[in-house]
Amino acid sequence: MKKLFLLNIIVFATTLAFSQAESDAILGVWETGSGKARVKIDKVGEKFFGKVVWLREPLNEEGKPKVDKNNPDEKLRTVPLLGYKLLKDFSFAGEKTWEEGTIYDPENGSTYSCTIKMTDENTLDVRGFIGVSLFGRTDVWKRVQLKKK
Amino acid sequence: MKWILLVTVLTAANSVSAQEADTVEDYSMYGEAELAGGAKRFCTSKVFDLSPNKLISVGYDFQSGYQVDLGAVGNVAPQGINNQNNYGLRIAANAPVISKTNVLLNLGATYWENFYSFGNGAAHPLAQSLQAYGLRTMGINFTLFKPFNEVNFLIVNGSADLNGNYSFENFQSLNTAKISATAIYGWKKHDRLQYGFGLARTYRIGELNYLPVFLYNYTFPSRKWGVEALFPARANLRRTYNSRTLAFFGYELEGNSYLMRNRGNEFATGINNLELRRSELRIRFTFERSIKDFLWFSLQAGLRYNMRFNVDDKEFFRGFGDQPYLFENTLTNALYVNFSVNLVSP
Repeated sequence: MKKLFLLNIIVFATTLAFSQAESDAILGVWETGSGKARVKIDKVGEKFFGKVVWLREPLNEEGKPKVDKNNPDEKLRTVPLLGYKLLKDFSFAGEKTWEEGTIYDPENGSTYSCTIKMTDENTLDVRGFIGVSLFGRTDVWKRVQLKKK
Repeated sequence: MKWILLVTVLTAANSVSAQEADTVEDYSMYGEAELAGGAKRFCTSKVFDLSPNKLISVGYDFQSGYQVDLGAVGNVAPQGINNQNNYGLRIAANAPVISKTNVLLNLGATYWENFYSFGNGAAHPLAQSLQAYGLRTMGINFTLFKPFNEVNFLIVNGSADLNGNYSFENFQSLNTAKISATAIYGWKKHDRLQYGFGLARTYRIGELNYLPVFLYNYTFPSRKWGVEALFPARANLRRTYNSRTLAFFGYELEGNSYLMRNRGNEFATGINNLELRRSELRIRFTFERSIKDFLWFSLQAGLRYNMRFNVDDKEFFRGFGDQPYLFENTLTNALYVNFSVNLVSP
């Protein structure tokens, strides 16, 4: 009986570890399809978030760091884009998919429903959509390897 | 109890430390990086501040009154008549079915109608037919964007349209669909400029022809102004007030060839399946604004300049030839307005 209990514990722990590894596969730094930004995806609790950590053109036309000037909320228009949380509140849904999150597009100040699917270990299909997934756009993000200094 | 306190203190400390790390994070390390697995980068299909793609558009088009001079045909004498107005719905849907970094494919459908109001004086068979049935266009289309690298790309667009004086109860054969297509090879020089050259099989001049096309989308460094052009079909100077308010000044060349069946014996016996070659230049102001989130309205007003409104006795390829029309018509110019509500793409 004791052995059976131990076996159950081991199976449960192994399953949990594999599940954890699969859900955390999204963690890391990713480059957006346009190559204009890199986003670092982190985990906070059971949710996944992504923030801008690099911009190809970090300065605006006045030579100052770019801010979120298109945000519909006027108070947030001075927030720097570097460090901005674009991805929010994603949950791992299994089958290499993270759902129920949102993505923010600083180009137009809009927030979209979003689903992320990992097509291989270095590629994410990030689909922002309005209401139903059909009315959306998929951006393919590529994993970035940081050069060791 | 003690261990609960310990866990709480450690968690709180970790939280504070994470927040501090967040605020002092050194982002410079993320610039020194390369794509994993040797992945390739591709240019995107848009430049900065390009007007948003319309997924669903429901609009209404209205032209003010104008004079129509219809030519003689057979025993029918020419007639000059006033068209009080043109009006009709314009509905379009467009959905991205493949949306990848290395290929984009959009499928769409359109429905346009155009009704005429000649009053009681319509004696000419063309006026009678237009007043009774109007003109309709219903079609499907696709647009493929294929980038080859970070600079070069190909755009292929195709459509099949049923144009004519049909109604839903009295539909016309699918064999009469008019096929249009465009292929453009382009360069995206930077995030504010893309251009390309290509060839179009088009009915925009009222009848089938093959024309060179030039794509040019440019946003000025100030990001307040831009140009959106696909010569010769359309060109617009864009003013961007903010990401949700845009204004345009420019033109569009609209046209198609419409199958005119002798549905109600308006024409003499034996005259059937004519082709109305209709083309018009619309010089206009357009104002577009987000109503709420992804729902936008578009208000357009301008001058409709008639390019062609002639009739052939059958469908054939004239090209730049000078074969005579069955009869020719002239239309004076008119003012027009177009209002639409649109669901725009992310």
